[in-house]
Formats: sequence, structure tokens, C-alpha cells
Amino acid sequence: MGWRQSLQGADVPMGRTIYLNEPLRNAFCENSISTAKYSMWSFLPRYLYLQFSKTANAFFLFITILQQIPDVSPTGKYTTLVPLLVILVISGIKEIVEDYKRHMADKLVNSKNTIVLRQNAWQMILWKEVNVGDIVKATNGQFLPADMVLISSSEPQATCFVATSNLDGETNLKIRQALSETATMKTEKQLSNLSGKIKCEEPNFHFNSFAGTLYLNEKSPISIGPDQVLLRGTQLKNTEWILGIVVYTGFETKFMQNAVKSPLKRSKVEKVTNMQILVLFLLLLVMSLVSCVGAIYWKDRYRAEPWYIGKSDYDYHSFGFDLLVFIILYHNLIPISLLVTLEIVKYIQALFINWDEDMHFKGSNVYAMARTSNLNEELGQVEYLFSDKTGTLTCNVMTFKKCSIAGITYGDLSSKSDDGAKGLSQSPCFISDAYEFNDPALLQNFENDHPTKEYIKEFLTLLCVCHTVVPEREGNNISYQASSPDEAALVKGAKKLGFVFTTRMPNSVTIEAMGEELTFEILNVLEFSSNRKRMSIIVRTPEGRLRLYCKGADSVIYERLSENSLFVEETLVHLENFAKEGLRTLCVAYIDLTEIEYEQWLVMYKKAITVVKDRMKTLEDCYDSIEKKFLLLGATAIEDRLQARVPETITSLLKANIKIWVLTGDKQETAINIAYSCKLLSGQMPRIQLNANSLEATQQVISQNCQDLGALLGKENDLALIIDGKTLKYALHVEVRKCFLNLALSCRTVLCCRLSPLQKAEIVDVVKKQVKAITLAIGDGANDVGMIQTAHVGVGISGNEGMLATNNSDYAIAQFSYLEKLLLVHGAWNYFRVTKCILYCFYKNVVLYIIELWFAIVNGFSGQIIFERWCISLYNVIFTSLPPFTLGIFERCCSQESLLRYPQLYRISQTGDIFNIKVLWIQCINAIVHSFILFWLPAKMLEHDMVLQSGYTTDYLFLGNFIYTYVVVTVCLKAGLETMSWNKFTHFAIWGSIMIWLGFFAVYSSLWPTVPVAPEMTGQGSMALVCPHFWLGFFIVPIVCLIQNVAWKSIRNTCHRTLLEEVREMESSGVQVLRRDSVQSFKVEEVNLQRSSSPRPCQVIFRNNSVDLGAPHGYAFSQVERAVISQEELVRSYDTTKNKPQKTFSSATLE
Amino acid sequence: MTWSATARGAHQPDNTAFTQQRLPAWHPLLSASITLPLFFCAGLAFIGLGLGLYYSSNGIKELAYDYTGDSGTGNCSVCAMAGQGRAPPPPCSCAWYFSLPELFQGPVYLYYELTNFYQNNRRYGVSRDDSQLSGLPSSLRHPVNECAPYQYSAAGLPIAPCGAIANSLFNDSFSLWHQRQPNGPYVEVPLDRTGIAWWTDYHVKFRNPPLVNGSLALAFQGTAPPPNWHRPVYELSPDPNNTGFINQDFVVWMRTAALPTFRKLYARIRQGNYSAGLPRGAYRVNITYNYPVRAFNGHKSLIFSSISWMGGKNPFLGIAYLLVGSLCILVGFVMLVVYIRYQDQNDDEEDDE
Repeated sequence: MGWRQSLQGADVPMGRTIYLNEPLRNAFCENSISTAKYSMWSFLPRYLYLQFSKTANAFFLFITILQQIPDVSPTGKYTTLVPLLVILVISGIKEIVEDYKRHMADKLVNSKNTIVLRQNAWQMILWKEVNVGDIVKATNGQFLPADMVLISSSEPQATCFVATSNLDGETNLKIRQALSETATMKTEKQLSNLSGKIKCEEPNFHFNSFAGTLYLNEKSPISIGPDQVLLRGTQLKNTEWILGIVVYTGFETKFMQNAVKSPLKRSKVEKVTNMQILVLFLLLLVMSLVSCVGAIYWKDRYRAEPWYIGKSDYDYHSFGFDLLVFIILYHNLIPISLLVTLEIVKYIQALFINWDEDMHFKGSNVYAMARTSNLNEELGQVEYLFSDKTGTLTCNVMTFKKCSIAGITYGDLSSKSDDGAKGLSQSPCFISDAYEFNDPALLQNFENDHPTKEYIKEFLTLLCVCHTVVPEREGNNISYQASSPDEAALVKGAKKLGFVFTTRMPNSVTIEAMGEELTFEILNVLEFSSNRKRMSIIVRTPEGRLRLYCKGADSVIYERLSENSLFVEETLVHLENFAKEGLRTLCVAYIDLTEIEYEQWLVMYKKAITVVKDRMKTLEDCYDSIEKKFLLLGATAIEDRLQARVPETITSLLKANIKIWVLTGDKQETAINIAYSCKLLSGQMPRIQLNANSLEATQQVISQNCQDLGALLGKENDLALIIDGKTLKYALHVEVRKCFLNLALSCRTVLCCRLSPLQKAEIVDVVKKQVKAITLAIGDGANDVGMIQTAHVGVGISGNEGMLATNNSDYAIAQFSYLEKLLLVHGAWNYFRVTKCILYCFYKNVVLYIIELWFAIVNGFSGQIIFERWCISLYNVIFTSLPPFTLGIFERCCSQESLLRYPQLYRISQTGDIFNIKVLWIQCINAIVHSFILFWLPAKMLEHDMVLQSGYTTDYLFLGNFIYTYVVVTVCLKAGLETMSWNKFTHFAIWGSIMIWLGFFAVYSSLWPTVPVAPEMTGQGSMALVCPHFWLGFFIVPIVCLIQNVAWKSIRNTCHRTLLEEVREMESSGVQVLRRDSVQSFKVEEVNLQRSSSPRPCQVIFRNNSVDLGAPHGYAFSQVERAVISQEELVRSYDTTKNKPQKTFSSATLE
Repeated sequence: MTWSATARGAHQPDNTAFTQQRLPAWHPLLSASITLPLFFCAGLAFIGLGLGLYYSSNGIKELAYDYTGDSGTGNCSVCAMAGQGRAPPPPCSCAWYFSLPELFQGPVYLYYELTNFYQNNRRYGVSRDDSQLSGLPSSLRHPVNECAPYQYSAAGLPIAPCGAIANSLFNDSFSLWHQRQPNGPYVEVPLDRTGIAWWTDYHVKFRNPPLVNGSLALAFQGTAPPPNWHRPVYELSPDPNNTGFINQDFVVWMRTAALPTFRKLYARIRQGNYSAGLPRGAYRVNITYNYPVRAFNGHKSLIFSSISWMGGKNPFLGIAYLLVGSLCILVGFVMLVVYIRYQDQNDDEEDDE
């Protein structure tokens, strides 16, 4: 889409001007979008161009053109053209079907409804009818139809919240605020009278930049920045309604400008296949050259040509001419139907993925979706898995799970909750209550005057007061809106325990503590920042005392505890326990302030907020000066809930020798927590943490670690590497990169935190190039798009977050756990299927067409064909077209259950040993041997042309038809031999193909002269089918060919059993366990696969301080930082006791 | 942005064994224990069949004589010498004498065999017009280009039948004489020259052009015979059902052979006293020696052969069956060894555990 923009840009270099309420002057692009590849008119030229840019198709086109030269073609003029057309038509139909779907999807989007101001009244129109300059009204929960500038909103200070996860993958809501000049314009009348213009920059793809100026009549120009802009694809949240002026529409919206077409990915198998086609092409050239030399030799033997051939006027037998003849003669070595067969096969494989009920998420009725079918077999070869965290491993739902108050931990119902978890594990993201904090002991202690009662009260009060959450009351229900999910979880948790946060007013909050209403005056909000790792709030309690409540990381709180603080040790132990379970912990503490202290501080504070330079720093120093001598209350533990079956899936993938890297934009602490909870990290695993501020430091720490590892470097160790985005930037520098990768690839688990989307893509790219293994990236947000596009296979989680990741992915699934089935079952199966299908296609073509070479030896290298010309071209299209399909669609190495039960089986496809150039050569040699047998046995059988009972003599085509029949039988049986799973379709394909040929043979031999084709076939069928030699050969020739294959296969299956054979035997015998289970199977597999190096316990002695051997503490907290308006301003702008003004407004609009 | 996965839910097909890839299937697992009996059974069956075929083929009698006329190989060498380097070779005849000590079991077929003759050469093989041969008048006048250089005669007339195959029609002829008593007279053995072509060739593929005024000659008016022919196509035989394009010698010749050594059926001997075969006695074959084969180092032979259910004598198939049968048995033994060794190994492993 870039070119559209640049064209536009060239026309109007000054940017665009949008005139308010003057629709005729705003002529810009339409808001309807089209993602389709073709239109009605562009289809044919574009389609043909795409098809013939494929080498194989171009090759066949070239052959077709060659065949038009008179006297060159041994096979007639149209025998390549017709199959080529058939194939083009088939893939054309597929293209049309796919494009039709895109057209329908576009139509769906384009015909969504929205409300705009037209002729001074609100009108409901379709998205595609929205124009630049329109004033759009959007209500809560709606997606915005175009990029627009916010005029006003229902919220105080004309703010609104938008979910931008569709665009950038960030989960916290973004605040947008209208210009104060327009904030009051809310009625139709005001809006209709609006006149003036907006000048703004040309459309571009930067989400976070916008430069414009608003010229309202009779007012000075006002600049508009990104804080006023609402983008298409974002969703309005927590805001009753907003009004906005459309500035960019359709393809010019930032969303569409970013929606680049995912790059065309080609699978490894496809690349190998192309190599193999090249090999075959070389073989073709070699054969042609050999034949040309043969022709020269033959001519030489006779000096001149024998008299019976007849002299011709011009010299036929120039070398170049012969070469063309032979290239046409042998060109079918390159399987013409391979590409279209693969396309259809992969399309159906993709449908199987789409249809799979095991990957159907019933919670939102989402099925898995293969958005491309190119990479089906690549799924079976994944070695490195790069996973996003938020929304991928986790649900992005926070729940207050446990706490430790005054040295007593609550909510630790591990045994019980585990049972519950199993039962509900199918869809935990959608269940709320069962998972939340639930420990009656806490309330009992509180009610029964337990010695710690006061602490409990203080603890819960803190949770209710110390936050920036806004309550929203609807009837008796209170819902909380927070830009920090942690705070929301805590407030909700407190509510469940009887401490309900009910009202927020600009200067106070009101809570109901066990039914008792308490109002706290909020004096100051000491904001959170990731530097400070804590937030505090200074309140005046209902009793009139000054108190500072603080919650934050254990490290910062513990530093600031007063000596009088109790339960310090116990709480620390609890923190470690929480952290080991992967819970996010916060310490909470408070301090009572004296009036004097506070007054003094306030002076400082007021000074600090007026500082212009380095205000953040000054403020933080100022906050720091009062946050001291804390008294510890306890700790909270929040569960960042994992998606269903994540730990199990990860364990299983690890068993399948897939290395898992977590790449997250989130904080280091959070990432570590999640790694623990999904069993990527275990308690004893040493963690190498790389955090450095400079290139030198990075280099130094990396080489230090490499040295410590010594000989273990390059092997898989039971280590975890944790690195943050800044350090990674240095680590990926050219001179450090190699060292870093060596270190990273020696660790079992790698966590990369605080990565920008670009870095995610970069690291995938680096690993992809370094290890030459197949990589898979999985993510759900827009920030994962880069890595999804970079990795060999990109998987998008189609969850609650936007569709951007999904739309750029190759496969979309609803849950991380479906990856297990996608890789271990579909991936492995598809790999087997596709590779077998390809090898078989090569095999069958080589078998048939090498026979022409054997025949050339006895016909003086003249280029004569031994088969009827149409039979040659129909070979691939009809007679042997079905077995590749059944191999490609129905082949199964073993059952789904076994593949899931023994993830080790994945290594067979992962290593790719069953498909490479060597395998192709073996297959080719096998095919050449078969073709040798298939030509010479029948040739010897018919040596004296006297095989008919009535003494008639036979001709060359009689032999040709014998051979052709035996080829079809052999090739079909060979497919049967390759097939590990015979279902009804397989039977039909194998026996059916033979029957189809025999039927065709009989019919085709009796067409001439009624139908003017194949005069030379006349009578062949009736003679051959009653000839005893035909049937005697029918049995022996294919058996001679295949006897070696059968023998070889049975010997290998007997002597050299792999895990796969064990499993297959187990399946067919119906026994549920391997005869030599667990230990033995491991042994077998070690012996056979040679690749597995099971992680051994790490015995390295680290001599540097970057390695953390201790237990983690689990601090994590997320909160918006540096927003348009500060957290303090935000909380102070709410008064939840008042009704919002929009109520009247919105009801008015409905009339 | 909304071609979402959720929208697809409605289009899901039924949840069947096919869509869930759970179709019942047979999972063969080839191993020595399974293929072992198969190899033995197949081997025995093949050997049995092979023996049958071998003896069946051996029961077929064949009598061949190379009459190319290499110097010192009989009286055809005179003709061969005479024809050397001359085109067209002069008419010449020679004879082959042989005697049968016992009855040559019938029905007896007479074949000629050419060697080193590449009927399967591409340029030779395509040099024909099947439309012309199927009697299409338009093709008669306008032979296809593939026939060149035997498409039009020097005078510009279309050649009928056109092409190199027709031009090189085998034109030696044979007659068989039987001497019943020693020194008795030779009696001509009737050779049946009809019924030597495939039924479809004679009735479907080859048709004379429509007669003009009841005359075949007029139908071919305005065409020239191939340059090597001495007479026009409609005079190939006096028998109206065996002349023109449907002359059976011609039809047989037009079916081009697969290999450079090939046989063509010349006649069947099935009339009169000879329906049971050739009785014992002395025989003479009179050969009209026309066809030049020495130019391309070829040979020509005459073959008398009887025909069984499997055609002519060719022990190859029987031998092939015997060999394959033995091979199966051999592989069977290899399987047996593998099977036994594997069993031992397996037991050892189980003992280890």
C-alpha cells in the first residue's frame, strides 16, 4: 500500500487540509478497504503472471512453445499444453475461492455501522460511507471506523480510554484527551456550526506520531498531537461516548498502512524440493546430452542414414536440434503435476487444521485457522519456539491469589485448588470466582479477634485506598476500572474480603470496611514508576491521622523498613514461596506521619513540581525522602493467570526437543514469574542474568559466562539465561553476537525481557540465521507481528486482543496449548505427508520417463516415444494422480494419541532425515532400477513379436502398452508400500488407478477413426488384454521391481527398530503400553536418533555475579507510565458520586 | 481486520471421522515375521508357474534360416552379391532346402525376420499418414508433412501410400514346396496370405478410398506409388479384398516393430493336408530376393514356427519366473535368518531388564 501513499504525497507535498462541515471540499480516499488479491478484471493477467513466475510452470510453458516448432516434438504439439492448462485451471479455481473469501470478509468490515453527523442530525451509516471531515460518534466498546481527532467526550476533562491492543499489543488502556477549545462541543447544533479547517500531515504508518493544526474561525490556531488522535482499529473503553472528526480513511488510516502483507514464506521442504527439481533438470540435461552423443555415435556407425529412413531436404540431425528433441522427450521427468498436487494437498491439510475439534476453543467458538497452507510441513520441523508472554502464555487476567499478613499466609489452599484447577483447566481464562482468593481463615482471624486482627484490617484498608482505580457503580454492582491490572486485582480481592472501595472523589476515597463507611482524604499520590518500583499514597484517615501507604517491590520496601518492623523474616520466606509458584508479589507497608514531617515535605514537594528541568528526577528524590521507616504489613500475591494447560504443553514441547525462548516486552520480574509458573524454570536452575549498561560491560559479562561454562558451551545445559532489551541491544552487536548466541544456545531456557517489537524480530532473525533450524514465533499482540513475520512459522493467538497478530500469522490458534497438537500431530503428520508425496511424485515420473532413455538405446537415439503421446501426458494428470493425493492427505505415521503421548516421535520429522537430497538420490536410483526392469523385462518377453495366440506379430506400441501398464501397476503398488495407513480412499486410489488405466486402455484403443485421436492405439486393447503374456507379466514385472523394496523394508523394520515402529506395533496390537516402555523406549530412541542430548544437571561453578542461584522473590507490577495526564491528575478528575453528563445526551440521541 | 477466526465458526462442516482424521484404516507394518511366509509362498508359486511356462515354450517348434546371403552360406549369396551396391537391385531368386524328419506340429506359421532394421526410428516411424490409410479422400490427395520426403513424387503427385514406412515395404516373396517322396516331385504347399493382419487393422484402421465407378484404380488416379515400389498400390494383389491399403502384407508391415530385430507374419499354413502341420519330408522354399538389407548390415531370415497358447517360442518368461521364484525363496531365507537373530537379540534385551 505504500505506493498509494507516495503518489498522494507527491501530489500534495504540503499535507492535507480538512474543512470542517464542508464535505464537498474534502476529497480523499474512501473508507472502504479491500484486501483481495484480484478484481474481476485484473484476475487473468495477474494470475497468469504469478503462475508463470514459478520456475516449473515457466519451464512447461517453454516446452509447450518448443513443441510448436514443426518436427521437433516427438510427442505432438499439445501434449504439454493440455495438462498445463488443466493444472492452471485447478489452481485458478483455488485462487478464486480464496479471493472470494477475502472479498466477503472485506464486505463484512465495510458494512459495519457507525453514527455520523449529516445534515445536522445523527445518522447511522456504513463504515465504507464515512468520509474525511465527517464527525463520528462512537460509543463504549465500539471499534473506530477511521482515524479521527477527538473533539469531546462524555468523561471529565474530555478524556477517553482506548484499547490499542489491535495496533500495538499493549494491554493497558491509553488515555486520549480532547483540546480544551473543543471539549465543550457536544450538541448537534454546536457541531454543525463548527467551521474552520484542520491541517495535518500526510498519512503514514507511525502509530505514535501525528502533527496537525486546528484552525477554528476567529480563533488562533491550535496544534493537535497524538494525544488527540483516535485510530481505526482501536476500541473505545470505559467511555460512554466520544465525538471525533475523521482525518484519514480507508487505506490511509494508520492501521491499514501498517497492515502490510505478510512476507511470502517458503518452507524448508519447498526449498529442498526446488533443489531437487533442479537436480532433476540437470538429470534431464545429462540424459539429453547422452542421447545426443548416442545419436552421433549411431549415425557414425552407419556413415549415412539407412536408406529406408529417407533422405530429407534439410539436415535434421544437427546437434542443437537433437538436443531440443530430447529435452522435449524427457521433459516429463520434472513432475508437472507436483506443484498443483502439493497445493491441493496442503490446502486440504490446512482444512484439517481448521476443522480440528481439539483445537476448537469452545469459550469463544474459535477454531484454529491456517492462514497459509505453504508451511504445513514446516510445523513438523520446529526446533526453536519463540513465545510472547502476555496473552500467549498468560490470559492477561490478574487475580489476587494469596497474601501474607503479619507473618501468616492466607489463601494457600494448594491441594484443593489443584484439584479444582484440573477440572476447570479447559477454559480458565473465562472463569472468575472459582479462581480467586478464597480462604475463610482470613475472615475468621479477623472476626475472632486474632492477635493480628489490626494488621489484617490495616492491610485490607491499604489495598482499598492505595491505588488509582476508579469505581463505576451500576445499580448495586461496582466495577473497577484501572489502567493497572494488578491494582484492579487487589481492589477486587479486598472487596471480596469485605473491604469495598465504593467512591472516588477528587480529594477523597470512600470505602466500606465490613459495612462501616470510611472516608480517606487523599493528600498526595506518590506515583509509580518502574524505577521506583513502588507507589505510595498519603491520606488523612477518618480519625484524622496522617498516614502513608506504600506498596512495591520487596527489594525497595525492605530497604526502607524501620528497625521496629515485625515479621520481616517470615514474610520473606512467604515471598519466596509465592515466587516459586510464579505469583507476582508486592510488599505492602505503611508509616504514620507527623503533621510537621508532612508540612516540611509538602514544601519540598511543591517546589519539586514546579521544577522544569529534570522534574521527574526531582520528584522521585522528593518522594524518596518521605518513603522511609516503613512498617511491614505483609505481601500480596497475584496470579497472572496462565492459559489452560500451558505448563503441560511446555513440558511436552520440551520433550519433543523444542527449545523455548520467551520474548516479552514486559518486565524482567514478570517474565521470571511466568517462567516459574509454566515450569520453564525450576527452583534449582541457575539463572544467568545479563543486565549491563554498555557494550564493554555486556561483552565482559558474556565472555565471563562463556568461560565459566567451558566445555559445556554449545551443549544443552540446565541453565536459564535472562537478558533485558537494553543489554540485548549490545549483545547483538556484531562483535559480541557470536559469543552471546553461543551462550544463549547452551541454555535450556532463555528469557528476553523489555524487548521492543523490533528486537523481538531481530533476535528471531539472528537465531534463525545462526542455527539454521526452523523457528516458530507465537504471539498475540501487534508487538509480536515482527517476530511472527520473521520466524519461519508465525503463529497468532486469536484471543481477546486484537487481530493484528492473527492477521499477520501463518496459523492462528485460540490457546497456547493447541500448539501441542498443531506441532506434534498436524506438523508431524503433514511433514510425513508432504515429503512422501513429493518423493513419490519424483519417483513415479522418473520411472516412466527414464524408460524413454532405455528405448532410445534400441531405437538409434532418434527420439521415438514408446508410449502413445496422450498416455504420456495423462500419466500425471489421471492414471497416477490419485496415490500422491492419498499419501499427501491421509498418510499417518501413527495415531494422534501416540504422537501426543510420545513427543519424542516429533524428532523424526524435526531432524528432516527423511527428506533431503540424499534421500532423493536414493529414490531416483531406485526409480531408475525399476524403470530398467520395467523396460527390459517386457522387451525380452516380446522379443520375437510372437506372443499372440493367432500368430500375429506385434508392434512397438504393443510393447509400450505392456510397459505402461506395468509402470502404472508398479507405481501404484509402490505408493501402497509407502503408505503406512490404508483407509478407503487409499484403497480406491491404488486399485482404482490401475482399473482406470485398464478401462481407459480398452476404450482408447477403439476410438480411431470415429474420434480422430491415437490411430496407432487402434486394436491395442483388444489384443493386449487377451494376451497371456500380458497377464503373466502383469504379476511378475511389478513384483520383480518391488521385491527389493519389500525385503529392505521388512529387514529394516525388524533389525533397526525405531520408536516409531515400536509405537506402530503397539497400536496395531491394541496394547496400550509399549512393550518396552519408558526406559527402554528412551534407550531405543537415543540409539536411533543420536541427536537427543537430554539436559544434564548443571555442574558449572560460576565465578561471576551475574548468575543468580538464589530463590526468586517475584515482584511484578504493571502500570501506565508517562501518560498524557499523570495518575494523580487522573484520579483527581473523577467524582463517581456524580452522574456523568452523557446520560442525558445519549438518551437524547436515541430519540 | 475482521476476517476473524470467529466468523468462521459457522462454516464448520460436521464433526465427522473424516474431518477429525479418524477414518478407520489398516496399518500394515512390514517385518520379517510377516513377509517371511509371503516370500516362501510366492517363491514356490513362481517356480511352479515358471516350470510350466518353460516346458510350454520348449514344446514349441521353430525352424529358422538366414537367407541374407553372406558369402558361402547357401545359394542366396549370389543374389546378395548381385544386389550389392545397386539400387534397385535386380530381380533374383534363390532357394532354401530343408527336410523334416518328423511331423512339424501345426498350425505352422511362416515369418520373416529382419535384423538391424530400425523401424522404431522416430523419423521413420512418424513417416506415415493414418488418415490417408483410413481411406479419407482428402488425405489421399494431401498427405501430411510427416511423410516427407515421400509426400509428393518428383512429378508433384501425392504419393499413396505416403511415407518412408510404406516406401520400404518388404518385397521378398516366398513359396513353399514339399517333396513327399525322396526324389519325387515338389508339390506347392498352399500359403494362406490372408488373415495375417490384426482384425482391427484390416477392418478398421486400413480402408481403401471410396471406389470410383467401381474401380479401385480410378480411386487412386492422380496419385503416385512410393518410389521404391514397382507397381501401384491397387495392384498389390489380384484379390480385391487384399489390395490397395488393405493388402495384408502391407498392413502387417505398417505395424512398426519395437526393436531393431523383428519378425513379421508372412503366411499361415493351414490348408489341405497341411492343416495339422508340415508332414515329414523334404522341402524347398523359393525365395524372390529383392529386399536390400546388407546396406545397413542387416540380416533377413525365414522362420517356420508353431504357435501355442502363449504364442511363439520364447523361454524368457519361464526363466524369469523361475529366477524370480528362486530369488523369493532366497530372500525368504534371508528373512528367516534376520527373524531368528532378531528374536535372540530381543530375548537378550528382555533378559537384561
